[in-house]
Amino acid sequence: MSKDEIVLDETIHQPTRLRIMTMLVSQEDGGRLAYGFIQQALELTGGNLTTHLRRLEDAGFLETSKVFENSKPRTWISATEAGRRAYASYLANLTKALDWSPPA
Amino acid sequence: MQSGQKEAAGLAAGESWEAIHQTLERSHRSLYLAGTASILLLWGVLTAVYFIVTFAMGELAPEFVADYPWYHGPVWAVLGPLGMIGSSIIGHRAGERNAGGAVARSAGIRVFLYWLAVATAAGLLPGVAGIWNSEQADHIPYTVLGVIFLGWVLFGILFRPALAVVGAALAVAVLAPYYLAGDLSGLISGVAVLIVCVLGAAWIRRSGRL
Repeated sequence: MSKDEIVLDETIHQPTRLRIMTMLVSQEDGGRLAYGFIQQALELTGGNLTTHLRRLEDAGFLETSKVFENSKPRTWISATEAGRRAYASYLANLTKALDWSPPA
Repeated sequence: MQSGQKEAAGLAAGESWEAIHQTLERSHRSLYLAGTASILLLWGVLTAVYFIVTFAMGELAPEFVADYPWYHGPVWAVLGPLGMIGSSIIGHRAGERNAGGAVARSAGIRVFLYWLAVATAAGLLPGVAGIWNSEQADHIPYTVLGVIFLGWVLFGILFRPALAVVGAALAVAVLAPYYLAGDLSGLISGVAVLIVCVLGAAWIRRSGRL
């Protein structure tokens, strides 16, 4: 791929969605994060977070599960395999766009 | 990409790279800090209980204190494990609320090992300093607590500056009365530690849920 052909996935390239995906993908395969934890760590409003999560879920990059734990509702979010692949591809293209390789 | 557009895209790419690094750091930091405010409050209560108990012992049973100056040890033999078990439960539950998986477990284990190392150092230091004896037994708790508060300061420097400030305030709350308040130092230290912990935990909670 030539440098002129580098395309960054628009779904991930948006700043908030990039942060959300970074948090999720940094967990090991099968790892999950609580909705409230992401909201607190990224200092987002509930509405803002929900909007971006829905966009990522529609793209097939993450999945949510709502469960009751100790009689309290809890929403867990995890990256899908497609989301991990898309993020890896995004990182590869980002590195090319920067024209340098990050230190190993 | 055209040349002007390429430059703009390059800048955006640089910002994206920075955002990724900041997010990773913030995410890991949040995992390490799970339950910190409650743990701080727990240790504040235990330390205050210790000072109030020892002050009461000095007032109500001065002969016992003179005969058994090492009684501080058994008091901490009860309070210390209570604190360690309580902190572990609080930290574990807070971690479970935030994340599920090996990364979160690893963060919890690292925090536990950090405090285990601090507690071990706090326990060994009086021995190395040569104050594990009946003549200097009074100094042992202050040495131990000084190391524990240093632990809070270092933890704060690594993960959250507010904790470093609280750790320093705790050291002042214990050591200033020790040098300045004479016979009332135990009571003043106990109350001061409790006040610092309550205010510190409220400040930490208010500036970000932990």
